[in-house]
Amino acid sequence: MGVEQEKTVIYDHRISTVVPATVTGNAVLHELTNMDLIMKLHYLRAVYYFNQSEITDGVTIADLKNPMFLWLNICYPMAGRIRRAESGRPLIKCNDCGLRIIEARCRRTLGEWLDVESSSSRWRLLVPDKVLGPDLQFSPMVYMQFTRFKCGGMAIGYSWAHVLGDPMSATNCINLWGELFSGNPPPKTLQLNNHQKKAENAATHVKVSPKPIPVKQVELIGDGWLAPNTRKMATNSFRITETKLKKIQPEQLKQVPTFVIISALIWKCLAKIRKSGECKMATICGYLTLPKCSKILNNTLKTSIVRLDSSAANFGLLELATLICKQEAEASKSVEELADIENGKSDFVLYGANLTFVDMEGINLYGLELKGQKPVQVDYSIDGVGDEGAVLVLQGPQRTNETSSNQERIVMVILPEDEIRQLCELLTSEFGIAQDLKINHKNSVTNM
Amino acid sequence: MPRAPLPEFSSSLRLKYVKLGYQHLVDNFVTFLSIPVMVAVGLELVRRGPQEIVGLWRALELDVIHILCSVFVIVFVATVYFMSRPRPVYLVEYACFKPPSNCRVPFSTFMEHTRLINSDEKSVQFQMRILERSGLGEETCLPPANHYIPPHPTMEASRAEAQLVIFSAIDDLIRKTGLKPKDIDILVVNCSLFSPTPSLSAMIINKYKLRSNIRSFNLSGMGCSAGLISIDLARDLLQVHPGSNALVISTEIITPNFYAGNQRAMLLPNCLFRMGAAAILLSNRRRDAGRAKYRLVHVVRTHKGADDRAYRCVYEEEDAEGHTGISLSKDLMAIAGEALKSNITTIGPLVLPMSEQLLFFLTLVARKLINPKRKPYIPDFKKAFEHFCIHAGGRAVIDELQKNLELSAEHVEASRMTLHRFGNTSSSSLWYELNYIESKGRMRRGDRVWQIGFGSGFKCNSAVWKCMRTVKTPIDGPWSECIHRYPVHIPEVVKL
Repeated sequence: MGVEQEKTVIYDHRISTVVPATVTGNAVLHELTNMDLIMKLHYLRAVYYFNQSEITDGVTIADLKNPMFLWLNICYPMAGRIRRAESGRPLIKCNDCGLRIIEARCRRTLGEWLDVESSSSRWRLLVPDKVLGPDLQFSPMVYMQFTRFKCGGMAIGYSWAHVLGDPMSATNCINLWGELFSGNPPPKTLQLNNHQKKAENAATHVKVSPKPIPVKQVELIGDGWLAPNTRKMATNSFRITETKLKKIQPEQLKQVPTFVIISALIWKCLAKIRKSGECKMATICGYLTLPKCSKILNNTLKTSIVRLDSSAANFGLLELATLICKQEAEASKSVEELADIENGKSDFVLYGANLTFVDMEGINLYGLELKGQKPVQVDYSIDGVGDEGAVLVLQGPQRTNETSSNQERIVMVILPEDEIRQLCELLTSEFGIAQDLKINHKNSVTNM
Repeated sequence: MPRAPLPEFSSSLRLKYVKLGYQHLVDNFVTFLSIPVMVAVGLELVRRGPQEIVGLWRALELDVIHILCSVFVIVFVATVYFMSRPRPVYLVEYACFKPPSNCRVPFSTFMEHTRLINSDEKSVQFQMRILERSGLGEETCLPPANHYIPPHPTMEASRAEAQLVIFSAIDDLIRKTGLKPKDIDILVVNCSLFSPTPSLSAMIINKYKLRSNIRSFNLSGMGCSAGLISIDLARDLLQVHPGSNALVISTEIITPNFYAGNQRAMLLPNCLFRMGAAAILLSNRRRDAGRAKYRLVHVVRTHKGADDRAYRCVYEEEDAEGHTGISLSKDLMAIAGEALKSNITTIGPLVLPMSEQLLFFLTLVARKLINPKRKPYIPDFKKAFEHFCIHAGGRAVIDELQKNLELSAEHVEASRMTLHRFGNTSSSSLWYELNYIESKGRMRRGDRVWQIGFGSGFKCNSAVWKCMRTVKTPIDGPWSECIHRYPVHIPEVVKL
């Protein structure tokens, strides 16, 4: 069944808004850093699935909304709207406009939903696919959707504009909501780093560095903040269990991080599929964990470029992985300087400008707890990815008796539609992964 | 050049003293008259001496029967006089509903919702302009159903709102006064636009388990001035039933009344009306006189409904597309002014000091007989009252009244700040304003308060209260968390 036929599965949509509990103040502005502005064409989409339990049974929409008022007091830029300064540079006006909440119901049970094989983009129905614009002044930056399944299970989906913060920030923020919902008091050491003003007015024209950069400048069509794709993109996710990991990770690669191995694997496969394409360059992306987790909303990406002399298909897995580890050419600074040109008016795409591998292992996706109940599954994706595609390596559901290094990984690929099928076939045949596209949720149920 | 202003100044100073002297003379006319009489009598007594007075007394030849009859007559007259006086009605305490922060509606959110709900660009722009100039702040509250796009009014949601606002106010009142629900003798509820079956008064009786012989009344459809109509009704009932108390609830339920159309005349209530409720405890028991806050002195009701223009001024109807809304006519301010004049004409003689009334009378005579073009004299109500509570119907209403009654900014501060913090809460706004004055520590024993309400019909109702004990701050109420921030300067036009 295609996504269109599935649209009627989710019904009874109700839209409302949640605002901060107290007045933020008159003309409070949240300045956007250069990195924020570079990421502005990307959007994070996440869906957390919760099994039916006593906790989800007793939850009403008012219970879900009530902690948000205090939450938005703390993270008030989330409730703001984009404005442009006189120079044309975008910033966030913290005018308490709020975030959009959507309530919906699903005709299927949670088990049936997670079981559906072909709904690789099944998460799309559980998260609003909105972007900023065309009316920037009235576009919420964060949407949340609460979907109730027939069995009583719940899906919490959120859409987050990357301009506000990176996935680390977004997850920490949403986990904070979970804490407040569970009745825990907010941590005292939270601050917002909105005092990071942009770099001194670049009076001199910034030299575009000759080094390769992970971003691509794009031309926007219309006023919406979304870069157009020449090819139709789709997503798919598959699970790499610990046993499979051990298989593909021979002895020599023990010290190489799992993320690098998975990236190398997929890069090789994609190089084989993209025979006509270049496939010699990839961006490796990661997020910095700030000490004490004190600053909530920021974009602190660590980007580096890996350049190969020939197509990745010609390299062995071990070779490629080692190369990736070595070539961590720091690209972040030059990326930031780019945004200073024309004072934030240029538009860039980072994910997908080159084939991008995003290390999201350190992001605590399963930390969103509703009174102690963890999600049984998390779907995570990024919208606004360029034509070269992106691969996200995420944490898998945690089992209580295992350490984090051994746990499984979920890989979400965002690629042109035709490449995905070929990729899955290749992964299955060569490495024995991705053959069980059906995410087996039954195991996870018993473990919860 | 420098000499010219001086004579003006000194002449105005002279005029001021003349005015002052005139006022003292006329206001205390009776005292001034009786002083020479008493002095003369006193002198005569002293001159005659005590012996002569005793002799005069003997000459009257009063025997026991005469004395007894005279005493009887005096006692009889005194009893009739005291019995025919109206029972004093005391306001023991009142409580206002404090909207929770999860109902808050900032300007930006309201505008965004309007743009998403209304397809017509012009009406969106119109509402934006109203909101900018409305005098509302960023903390006013709408019920949860109105936070949906589009608003989601159901019977259940309306009842939920009614329960939230009314029960909160009553719980607050019970906590402050120690009132036992079984002790309530009279219950009057007014809510203009939401009238379910069973009534809101039945809802209250059910929740608080009130007595089965309670006298309950539910007033609906009477507009924003219904709060004072309820007070009037409670007062009349307290005249008939001795030793009773009355619980009066004034509220307006917003949930069912969102206007979904595009007619400009009907869009104003969407922008201005907000959640609010007040619970007031009145009593005629003597023992409550000691702890009561206010005593009700006068209630004056004026109804201009006989005039067609006034009748159709605030009119609920369906627009061309079938959406129901309340249409406000363009003459609203003019009609309100006329209704106010009628009301003042009745209340003036009851409250104004003699000096003002005489001036008014003389100017009236002068206008009728000598010179019709002479400006009418506006009596100075600031001499009759210390505090004014003007219904916070909108910025225009407050401006108009301030101009008509020649009030200073401080006098209308309570109204403006209530409009800013709570919006137009309809019949309960007068109580929020009174609470503001108390929270600021301005209410002293002996102060007189004038509450003026306007409403559909067109009606103008006034109530006059006299403060019986100084109200000490800080007080527990809807203003307790934000009073230190007030008064705020409200700009003419707020930039959104």
